[in-house]
This record gives sequence, C-alpha cells and structure tokens, in this order.
Amino acid sequence: MERKPSELLPGTLDLLILKVLARGTMHGYGIAQWLKTISDDVLQVGESSLYPALQRLLLNGWVKAEWGASENNRRARYYTLTAAGRKQLTAEREEFSRVVTAIQKVLETA
Amino acid sequence: MKLLRRLNYLWNRRRLEAELREEMQVHQRMVQDELEENGLAAKEASLAGRRAMGAAALMGEDARGVWISPWLESIGQDLAYGARSLRKQPGFAAVAIVALALGIGLNTSLFTVFNAVALRPWSVREPARVVRVFGVLRNVEKQFDTISGFSFVEYRYLAEHTKSMTGLFMMRGEGGLRTDVGKVRAAYVTANYFRVLGVEMERGRGFMAEEDRSESPLAVVVLNYTTWQNRFGGDPEVIGRRIRIEELPFTIVGVTPPDFFGTNPEPTDLWLPFSGMVLLSPNDSWPRTFLRDRNSCCADVAGRLAPGISREQARAELGLLRVDFHNQFGEKSLGVVLAGTAPLQSIGRKAKNFYAVFALMFAGVMLVLLLACANVGNLLLARAAARRREIGVRLSLGAGRARVVRQLLTESLLLAGIASALGVFVAWVLPRPLFTRIVGAVSFPLRPDAAVLAFTLGLAALACIAFGLAPALHATRGNFSDALKQRHGAPGGRLSPRRFLLTVQVAGSVILLVGAGLMVRGIQHARTLDPGFAVEGTASVSFDFPTSAYQTPRVAGFYRSLTQGLDALPGTRPFGFTALEPLGNTKNFTSFRLPGQGESHENAILTNSVSAGYFETLRIPIVAGRNFGPADTGRDVLLVNQAMADRYFPHESAAGKTVIIDKPLEIVGVVRNAHTWTLDEVEPALYFPISYGIPPRLLLPHTAASQAAVAALAKGLDPRVEMRVTRLSDNLDQWLSATRIAALIAGMLGILALSLAAIGIAGVFAYAVEQRKQEIGIRMALGARPAQVIRGVFGSAARSLVVGLVIGMVGAIAGSSLLRQYIFGLSHLDPITYAAVLMTLAAAGLAATYVPARRATAVDPVEALRQD
Repeated sequence: MERKPSELLPGTLDLLILKVLARGTMHGYGIAQWLKTISDDVLQVGESSLYPALQRLLLNGWVKAEWGASENNRRARYYTLTAAGRKQLTAEREEFSRVVTAIQKVLETA
Repeated sequence: MKLLRRLNYLWNRRRLEAELREEMQVHQRMVQDELEENGLAAKEASLAGRRAMGAAALMGEDARGVWISPWLESIGQDLAYGARSLRKQPGFAAVAIVALALGIGLNTSLFTVFNAVALRPWSVREPARVVRVFGVLRNVEKQFDTISGFSFVEYRYLAEHTKSMTGLFMMRGEGGLRTDVGKVRAAYVTANYFRVLGVEMERGRGFMAEEDRSESPLAVVVLNYTTWQNRFGGDPEVIGRRIRIEELPFTIVGVTPPDFFGTNPEPTDLWLPFSGMVLLSPNDSWPRTFLRDRNSCCADVAGRLAPGISREQARAELGLLRVDFHNQFGEKSLGVVLAGTAPLQSIGRKAKNFYAVFALMFAGVMLVLLLACANVGNLLLARAAARRREIGVRLSLGAGRARVVRQLLTESLLLAGIASALGVFVAWVLPRPLFTRIVGAVSFPLRPDAAVLAFTLGLAALACIAFGLAPALHATRGNFSDALKQRHGAPGGRLSPRRFLLTVQVAGSVILLVGAGLMVRGIQHARTLDPGFAVEGTASVSFDFPTSAYQTPRVAGFYRSLTQGLDALPGTRPFGFTALEPLGNTKNFTSFRLPGQGESHENAILTNSVSAGYFETLRIPIVAGRNFGPADTGRDVLLVNQAMADRYFPHESAAGKTVIIDKPLEIVGVVRNAHTWTLDEVEPALYFPISYGIPPRLLLPHTAASQAAVAALAKGLDPRVEMRVTRLSDNLDQWLSATRIAALIAGMLGILALSLAAIGIAGVFAYAVEQRKQEIGIRMALGARPAQVIRGVFGSAARSLVVGLVIGMVGAIAGSSLLRQYIFGLSHLDPITYAAVLMTLAAAGLAATYVPARRATAVDPVEALRQD
C-alpha cells in the first residue's frame, strides 16, 4: 500500500482503459480494480488520473457512459466502448507496440 | 463532432458536473468498502476514505478541465500566434483590414438604414403588439396604393366596438404650424395615443379623454423631448406654461421621453388632440367636417393587440366591424389589413420600389465586400505560399491538418474581427448625415442596434470563411516533404486559386464601374435634358396664412385681389397659379374613364390645377384647342398633355373629346409635354382650372422688381401673410442632388473596387515574378528580350484578366437594365460608359503590372541562378 504506483507513459492510460473496456461494460472503480489485479498491483490508477482520462475518452467519442446499479446496489456510471473507440484501440495498440519494440531495441543494442 | 460534444457539455454543464461529482463519490465509497473488507477498522477506513475525499475536489477540477480549458487555451494560443504573425507583416495586415473594414462598414451602414426603415418598429412598450390598421381599397389598375386610412367617424366606430384591440388610436401629421417658438411640425392624435403606446412621460402627462371633444375642445399640447430641450431650454417648470400656436394660447401638459420618436417618419415637435384642429381653424368648416362626416377622408389608425389575440384574429374582427359600419349606409367594404410599424411596412405597394432600391444598393456594397474578400484571400494565398515551409514543418512534426487549418482560420478571424469593429464605427457615423442629405430629416435613430450587430457578426463570419478557408486548405494540401525541400514556394500550378480570385475581382469591378459610370453619365444627361418648360428665371411664391384667422372664401379673396394687383403692374407678367410646385416632389392622381368604357373601368392619371397664366409663364405651348379662359372657372372643362392625348386618343384630336370623372368633362385643349413632375418620361396628365381652396403657388419671372412688387402687394392685403420664394432652378438642382449623391456614392464604390482590383492584380503579378526568378534568369542568360520574358511570365495571369473583363462586361450589360429608371432616360448600354470603363481598367491593369514587369526584366541572370 505504501509503495507509489508505477508512473505510466503519457497516453498509455487511455489505451489501457480502452483495452479493459473492450472486454465489456464497466464502472470507473471496476476499471481501476481490474488494472490493479491484472498488473499484479503494479498499475494502481487513482481517481486523479482515471477520471480526467475517462472524460477525455468521452470527449473524443471513444466511450459512452450510462448510469446503472453496481453489484452492491449503488448507483454507478458504466462505460462502454464505441465503434470509434474500437478503431482507436487497434490503431493505438499498433503504435504502442511499434514504440515499445523500438525502445527495447535501443535498450538491447546501445 | 468534437466541437458539438464540447458545446453540448457547455450547454448541460451543471448537470454533467453534478454527475461527475456523484460518480467520484461512489468511487470513494467503493474504495472504503474494500479497505473495510481487507480488515481495516471501520474508523481508520473512514479516515483513509476522508483523506482521499479531501483530494476529490481537486481531482474533480482536473476531470472537468478536460472538456473546456485546454480548448480555450489553444484558442488563446492561436489568437496570440495570429496577432504576432499579423504584427510581423504590418503592411499586409493594414491593407487587409482597411479593405475588409470598408467592405463590412458599407454593408453595415446600408443595413443600419434598412433596419431603421424596414425592420425596426416604433420605439414603444412591447412594439411587436402594436399594429397599423388600413382599409382595403379597390385595386385600380394597380397604380394606386390599395390601402388607405379611415374617416374619423369610421375610426370611432371601430374603436368603440373592437374587442381584439386594447386600444385603437388615430393620428394625422400636420405639416407646419407657426408658434411663438418658431415653426413646428405637429401631429394630431386621439387622447388615448400615449396610453395605448405605453409612453412613460418625461414630464407631466398625456392627453385626457375630455381634452379631445370637438364640441368642447381644450387648448393643450404635449412637447417632444427635443423641442423641450431646444426651444424651452429644458425648463423644469415647463408644465403649465403657455405656447402660442397660430396666435392662440395652448397649455403644455406633458413632455415625451427622449427615446420616444413619435409615429411619423418625419420628426414630430409637438402633439395636439384632434379637437385642436377646430381651435386652430375656428372659421374654417373643414376640421368640423373631418371630425363629423364619414365621407371625409382620412387619417392613419393604429392600436395594440389585446392579450392573447393574434394579428389574424384582429384582422378578421376589424374587417367584420368595418363591413357592419358600411352596411348601415348600404355600402360595401373590403375589410382591413394590418401592418407592422416600421416606416416601410406601412406604405403598401410603394414599399416595393424602396425594396428594389435597397436590393440594388445591397448588390453594390456586397460586390465591394466580395472584392475585398477576394483581395484579402489573394494576399493570404501569397502569404500561405511564403509560409509553406513553416506549415510543412508543423505538419511533419505531427500537427493535424485540421489543427493547422484552424490556426490559419484564427488569423483570418482576427482580421475579420478588427475589420468588423472598424466597420461598426463607420456605420455609427456614416448613415445619419448621408441619409438626411438624400431623404431629409427623420424621427427615428439611424445607429447600429442589436440587429445590426448580429448582421455584422454574420457578415464577418461569412467573409472570414470566404477569404480564409480556401487559402488555409490550399496551404495545407499536398506533399509536404516537397515543400520542405523546395526553397521557392509552390510549383506554378498552385497559382490557380489566385487566378480565379483575380478573375472574380476584375469581373466585379467592371460591374461596379459600369454602374457608377452610368449614374454619372445619367446626371450629365439630365443636365442637358430640356425640361420642356421655363425653369431658368422663373420663381415660385407660396403664401402662408394664419390658419386661425382664415377660411376658404377669405383665401380665395386674397388671391383675387393679388391677381388684380399683379395685372395692374407692368413688371410681373406673365404670371400664373398652380396647385403643385413644378418639380416639387408631389404627385396627385385621379381616375377617369372614357365614354365608351364600362363603369368599373378606371384609368389612373396625374392631375394638377392651374390658371391660364401657368402655361404662358412656363412657356408650355398649347398644341391643339385653346387655353383656359376667364369663363372656365367652375365649368366642367380641362386640358390634357400630349402624352395623355397620344395614349387615349392615338389617331384623332383630343380637343373636344370628353372624359368622365364622376361627371363628363370636356377637353378644351392639349398642351406640349413638360417634365413638371419628374425628369424621366412624361406621364399622361390632366389640368383642371384652378380653385383657390388650397392656397396655390404663384409663378412669375424671377426679378428683383417682381419680388418687391409681390411682397408689397401681399403686405398691403394682409401683413400677417408670410411669403416664401423659391427659384425653379433650385428645385431642379434639388431633384438632381439626390441622384448626384447616389452617383457620388456609386462612383466611390467604383473607385474602391478599382483600387482593390489593382492591388490584387499587382499582387498576383509580383508573385508570378518572384516565383519564376530563376526561369527568368535562365531565359535572360540565353538571350531572351524583355518583351518575351514579360509575355512568358504574365501570359497566364493576363489571360485570367481578360476572362474577368469579358465576364464583367456580360454581367454589367445584363445587370445595368435594373438602373434604367435612375438614369434619366440614358440608355443603359451607353457606349461611352462602357468604353470609359474598359480604358480605366486597362490603365489600372497597366499601372498595376508596371512595377512587377520592371522587376522581372531587371532580374540579374547571375544573381538568380546563384540562389540555388
């Protein structure tokens, strides 16, 4: 708990959220939880970066939001990937792997 | 799409922000739940939760910020960047802003006038609920207005019975009244006038019902704010003071507020109750007749719609009431029409002519704006070409094309914004003096208001897109690695949008110049036109009687004595009398039928009432039959002009024929056509023998002796009678002055268009030289002569110039027929005008190409080749 969550590369959080939402509809807390679990507690996303990112995605029309009831009957806002979001996810994934490959190449050879 | 989502956010901001807050609180509680589950004591959990909450407000701020602030920030950046790049090229910025400011300023000025006369209602409470009411008349040959006012008696009937109006009032302008504070323009109104209009008096009160009874009239008056300020020095104790009108004392009971301009297009200095008519002409039967006789026509009626009543409902109800009223007397009625209260809305058919004039003027000023836009567009294109490297760098660094286009458009917007501010300033100072010169004093303000500002904003946005979008798209198009490699801008083919704009500019300025040229030539033509009567050396004298002391028989007596006096004098002959001043801007119409025509047939025709001396004084010859004789007064005879004789009696002599106006009248003679009404084509007209009911004008030779003689005669007859002398040549000048100003304006528009076009041409050619310096250098090095070089460089641009010229000529020939009625019978295909325009444009074109051509031939081959 005391360890600071790992810093993400700018822009990658949006990509990760898109990827998470590709599995299905989720609320904000759920997205944060899922990221934490999958990454073995390495990626801990706080509200301070999660909600601006979600608003950014809404603004770009990549996700849409709807109110619904959560597991323990709380009112929560659920996010769904839009068609444009799916397209963006594919594009960003390719770009990301390109960059990562490049970085790795540099790290290995230099 | 993104913009729409942003705007949607701004629109629903309150709700969406509340939702975000709620969402983040839910998140907090979920975190707390989790902590508790993981075994943390409830107390500690809530503490940890609250600690996180503290930061929540800040986080909400960040999340909200996604929607608006970066956007605003980037707009701010664009604006700052745009301002900087405009400052770097002050010459470009100045030319662009001045050209646009003139274009926008002229359009805004014209719209300011249009708004004031055609759109803006009276400045009263809830102006949209106030309507003017007119009776429908028979549509006679479509030459008359088909609407009219009401008799006072009919108005009273409507006002008493209507339920669809909360108040119906009547008003009637009174030309000029003499008072102890000078001449005033007055209006007679019913007592409810100020109450129905909702005028909150500056001082005192409006009229009361008991002040407007013709059987017991009270001498009360309400002053206009300006009258109060200028003629009573804004005296705070003005209520209760006396003002002498036509030598009778009236008590001032109220002063209107400064934002009430009255309900006449002309300024109204003071208001009187209708019963004041009786007071002011105690010896005259006419006011009483007007107030009591249902056949005594007419004055204007207006009123306020009752709450919840639509115009249509009110029209239906008032129409039925009107039918009821006329049924009592076995008459038919055609109902009523309602109109808005803007000056042009209430003049029926005649408004069409005004709208046509406005359309013509708007076409002119819009054309100027189009030219200005083309010019600025051209300058921007040249700049864009110069900035291709910069733009190429930005695009290859990953800026989106839309982003760069937006940046370039912001610059255009900045230009348009500054130009609009200047344009509104132009519209603030220009229309009033100009309009007053051409048309005369008006009551309503001629300043931009909210509607005008909205118009200007719309115009600026349109202009901005017109001149900014194409260059921006053009500049960001194509392959940018090419742009980066190239040192000298774009390849030659990229010139095409500039050539297109050049064509538009040349065509537009040809049209404007032809229009202006025709107006100027029209004026020249009118000066050489023979008016057909003696304008030079003839004076017109009008007499002003104190109405409170005069009635019809006494006026007639005055004229009889005057005639006898003039007859006895040697220096005053010939002299004559006329009801209408020659070229005095008044037309009277009547309708007649020929004996063979059915009773419903009516021919509209101009009329005037004159004495026998009229034709002699104005040297209008009698071409058939005879002049009026002394025995004709009161007899059923008339004279007609040649135009009337030609139209209705084409193959026979009109003298001796009969026309029917209620009763048969004999045509005793035909006179030659004369332009006594207007300077364009002479229309058919009838002349009746004069009766002196309405004081006529005296026409006589304009000499010092004759003036002195008339003045002495009039003084001798009654010292209170005032006389006013005008020269007929002044009337002619005045008649021409409106057109002269119009020609001046058209001429200025033309010169403006020409200079804009010249700047455009010079810019395009200079750019062509700059772009092809190397090529020129090589050619020169290979021994090309300067003429060949110039032909090579300018050939294509010159072609678009010629194309523009041809298109413009065709457009001008097609469009100029619209001007026909404003150029005094000059042909709209006047060859001199077209030749002059061609020569002017050719000269301007040569001048504009001279400098670039010099530069082209002065290119040093060595220098040019070394550049790369």
